[in-house]
Order: sequence, then C-alpha cells, then structure tokens
Amino acid sequence: MKRMLTRLAGVASILLLTTQMASADGKLSLYNWGDYINPELIDAFSKEYKVDVTLDTYSTNEEMLARIQAGASGYDLVWPSVHMHDIMQKLGLLQAAHPNQMPGWENIDKAALRSHEDPQGDYCLPYAWGAVGILYNKKLIPDLKSWRQFFDYAKANPGKVTMLDDLRETLGVGLIMTGSSVNSRNPEEIEKAEAFIMQQKPNIGAFRYDVIPLVTSGDIAAGHYYVGGVLNVLQNPDLLGFVIPEEGATMYQEDVCLLEGAPNSENAELFMQFLMRPENAAKNSERLTNGVVNTAAVSLLPDNLKTNPSINPSPEVRAKLQIFEDLGKDLRVYTRAWDRIKTN
Amino acid sequence: MITGKTVQSRKTQALLLLLSPITILLGAFFLIPLGIMVVYSFLEPGLYGGVEWTWYPYNYGRIIGWPLNDYETFEPIYLSIFLSSLKIASLTVIFSLLICYPAAFWVSRMSERRKSFVLFLITLPFFANLLVRIYAWLLLLRPTGFINMALQSIGLVAQPLDMLFSSFAVIVGMVYIFTPFMFLPIYANVEKLDYSLVRASQDLGATPLQTFLRVILPLTLPGIAGGSIIVFIPALGNFIVPSFLGGSKVQMTGNLIERSFLQSRDWPFGAALALLIMASVVLVVMFQVVRSSRAQARGAA
Repeated sequence: MKRMLTRLAGVASILLLTTQMASADGKLSLYNWGDYINPELIDAFSKEYKVDVTLDTYSTNEEMLARIQAGASGYDLVWPSVHMHDIMQKLGLLQAAHPNQMPGWENIDKAALRSHEDPQGDYCLPYAWGAVGILYNKKLIPDLKSWRQFFDYAKANPGKVTMLDDLRETLGVGLIMTGSSVNSRNPEEIEKAEAFIMQQKPNIGAFRYDVIPLVTSGDIAAGHYYVGGVLNVLQNPDLLGFVIPEEGATMYQEDVCLLEGAPNSENAELFMQFLMRPENAAKNSERLTNGVVNTAAVSLLPDNLKTNPSINPSPEVRAKLQIFEDLGKDLRVYTRAWDRIKTN
Repeated sequence: MITGKTVQSRKTQALLLLLSPITILLGAFFLIPLGIMVVYSFLEPGLYGGVEWTWYPYNYGRIIGWPLNDYETFEPIYLSIFLSSLKIASLTVIFSLLICYPAAFWVSRMSERRKSFVLFLITLPFFANLLVRIYAWLLLLRPTGFINMALQSIGLVAQPLDMLFSSFAVIVGMVYIFTPFMFLPIYANVEKLDYSLVRASQDLGATPLQTFLRVILPLTLPGIAGGSIIVFIPALGNFIVPSFLGGSKVQMTGNLIERSFLQSRDWPFGAALALLIMASVVLVVMFQVVRSSRAQARGAA
C-alpha cells in the first residue's frame, strides 16, 4: 500500500497542511511513507492539541535516510522499517522517546518489538506490520494458495503475473522457494534464488509496484503485492483475493521514531501517545489494512478485518513470515544478482 | 577615439550583464552537480548510502573492465544494458524522424491559418503531465485496452496481443514523447526551404529521387541533425518509459542509475554510470559540431 502511490508520484512529495492555522500553539513535522497514515488522525490530533501538523512523504527507506543524513532538519517523527530503525539508531540519528514509559504502552504487542537495537522500546513505537503476498483476480484464478500455483499459472499463461520491482522482495521469494532464509548472506544460496527467479522470468509479465488496476481489470491475473491490497479486496470481494502463500512470505514493519534534534519533541511524544490509543490505532488500521500492533485495538476493528487471515494471520502462518534484516556490505551480492536478473 | 573606447566598454558591460544570469545559473545548477558526480564516481560507496572519502576508481572497472580490485568484478551486463539503451534511443530517433519529416513538408505547404493551428496541436501534449500521458499508453496497450478491443471487434486478431511490457511498448512510448522535439527543428528547416532550387533541379532534368537526394535532403539536413540530437540525448537517459511501459523488464541505463541511488545504496556506481551516458552524449554533440563547422567552412569557401 505504502509504496503504491508514492511510486506513481515519483519524485514529487506532497506537503499536507492541516487546517488549524489560526489557533496553533505549536508545530509537529512528520516524515512518513506516502499514504501510510489515516489523514483523519492528523486532523483529530491537530484539533485536540491545537498543533500545526505538516506531513512530508518518501517512497523508500534509502531516500528518507539520504535526506536525514544530508541534514534535512525540521522533522520530528519518521517511520523507518525495522532494519532501517536499527541502522538509524546505530548512526545516532534517533533519540530515545521512551514510548515504553508512556500511557498506552500496555496496549502494544510486545512481539512487535522487532528491532535488534531497541528490544525494550526505549526509542521507537511499533506502528504497523504486514505480509507481502499475492493479490489475484478470482475470475482468472479462483483459488490461489501458494507460490507454486502462482508460478505454474504463469507457466501456462506467460505474461499474466507480476512481481515487485524490489530486489530484496523478489529475490526473497526465490530464497523462500529454494529453502533459504530471506536474509541469507551465503552467495551459493543467493545464486540458487537468482537461478529460480531467472527460470520464471520469461513468464513474468512485469516487475512493478502499481498492479491493483491491472489485476482488477484482468490484464494481470496475479501480482506479488503488499497486504495493503486487502483494502481493494474488501471493496470488491467477489473479484479480488489476497493470500499469504503457503510456502511462506516476507513481512515488513515500520516503527515511529523521534529524530535527534527534533524541534518539537514534546508534541512528537504526544503524537506517539495519541497513536497508542486503541480507537486511533483501529481507525488507522481500517485505512491501511495492515497488521495491528495494538492488541487493544483488535476488538475495535470491523469484523472483515479482524477475521481476515492476511491481516490477522494465525500463529502457524505468522511463524512462516520472515522480516528483512540489514545486510550491510553483503547487499551487494543481492544487487548484482538482481542486475543480472533484470538484464538477461 | 575616446568615444569609440567608451562604446566598446559599454558594449562589453552590457554583454557581461546579459550573460551573467545564464552563466551563474549554469554554473550553479549544472557544473557544480556535475563536479560532485565526477568526484563521487571515484569514491567508495558508503555502507548506508553516501560515500566514503577513499580513492576508488573500481566503480568504472565494474562497468568497463578496468581497473578492478578484489571486491569489484567486471560485469559485462552493464555494457549490454548500455548498448540496448543506445539501440532504443536510436530507434526512437529513426521512427520519430520517419513520422516528422514527411509531416513537416505537409504542414509547411498549408495555409497560414491552418499552419498555426497545427503547430498549436503539436505543442498541445505539453499541457498534460508526462506521467499521465505515459499512463494513458499503458491503458491503451494493455490486453483489455482500447487497441486490443478494437482489433478484436473488427476480427483482425482472435486473442489480445501482448503489447504491454515489451520493447515495442517502450519504443512506442518514447517516440510518442519525443515526436514534438523532432518535429520543430525539422519544420523550421523545411519551412525556409527554397523551392526555386527544387524547380531548377527539375528543370535541369533530375529525376524526383535525384532532386530529393541532391537538393532537398542536403538543404534540410541541419534540421534533421538538430532534431535527432535533441531526441537522442534525453531518450538515452530516460527511465520513466521503460519502467512504466517496459514493466521494468526492458531496462535502460537510466533505470540502473535510479536503482543504484534509491535501492542498492551505491551512489558512486550510479555516478559512474551517469558519467558514462554523459560521455557518449558529449561524443555525439562533438561529432555534430565538427560536422556542421566543416560544412560551414565549405560553404564559406
């Protein structure tokens, strides 16, 4: 979801100013993924605390990191993925906001403390998580359960499936299918994953993010996609489906972090508390259709989200989800494999 | 004598005043970033983006095979991507030329009113955002899109053609984007073509083909060369069209550069690739400059 619209918008970043100009007591500056927060929450917060909230957006962790490192100042809160949270904390770009001492922390699922650097939640607040699975058109594939089925369909109907234009995600599927960890640093394992994707490549229509309209129209039967696609599935349940494949899948999670040198750290901390309120967490999840990290919010969700096996998967399915870790220099092995896949 | 000198220095002053804004603009927004790119391309990539300030010429080794160290290996794929970018850019030039050259003659023979209307139509696409226009091609070319629907309904094809996400789609998109850039320089040239020379050639017994090859073509060649360069340069560095209409399966060096900066956190490698494109563009422009200055010298003689 988060990456869909921002890809479209490309380099343009949208500046959203709330309407509370006249009566503002303070400011708060957010730097988030595109389309990754319910705008109603921003409005509600700015009304309740009389704070001017500005929102800038980015479309990759690297883009955000580059801007923060280049000295972009004035931002208070950022939404890095867990591995980027680790990197930023190591680089000294974050300050401890101590969400674990705030009211509302008891609502946060402690299993969502996925950062290696921040195991107690001293720095950042877990925000949302989601699996990366397959969005499919039920008229073309009535019942999709596995990657195997996905690739078999592609073999019979070349060009009718898409995968993400993302080196870690798509090589990650190769690693899952060849039985390795998605964080493998073993060049032989990565080579096998490369060979697997290479073998499928002639049948894959495209590597792209923006596939929802193509799957809906039936131009593409199935696309590798984020769980945010469930929003469209719920609007169109007879036509669309989303599945976390049986073989396993990757997952992502973003944390909300306070930047070192944030100009409005008090308002930022208020915003973290605001996000932890179950009703706000639930309202946000309705819009994001991502996994919820707020256990108290689960009961407030509409039934179609609460029972959705992609948004709220069973423990057995959760056990098969792998999260990306930062690979440091070994990322180069992946980069090269990906360049070869794209070229040959 | 004194007044002459004052006039001279006033002229110089005026010239300085008039040239300084563009000089400062180019200096600030072209040369400085270019300098940064050159420097970065010889540095080691930082672990998390950015650069390490160590001498590291091996980014070029990865592309062209020399110099190399233990960590960087020569990958011929980067040259092959570059060659295919050259091919796509050249095909874009050829097809847009084939469309624009006859069209320019046709428009140049129109009445003044129709002519200005047609020229307005040619600039019309610039009123809409580029991404929106490319997206429109995606909708036209897809299997359930307009073109396939039309072909199927008149019974020309039984199954929808797979046009989207192919080299064909990329070239269609590129030709579409760059056609106005090709048209305008050619038109400017064709417009001022002296038809008395054409008639003279016909009077002297030249066949139509001879007239075209020996009179019309040489006279319109500057427009063709100008248009081709204006199309070739941005076409070579394009990355939006291959990522939209090529489904990222067709890739050009521009896509590789974008990925180096935004996905693989390898800024120096991206910088080296960008300079490779730049070098080839400079070569093409130099070739044209040398050629046209020779032609001028010949004309003067």
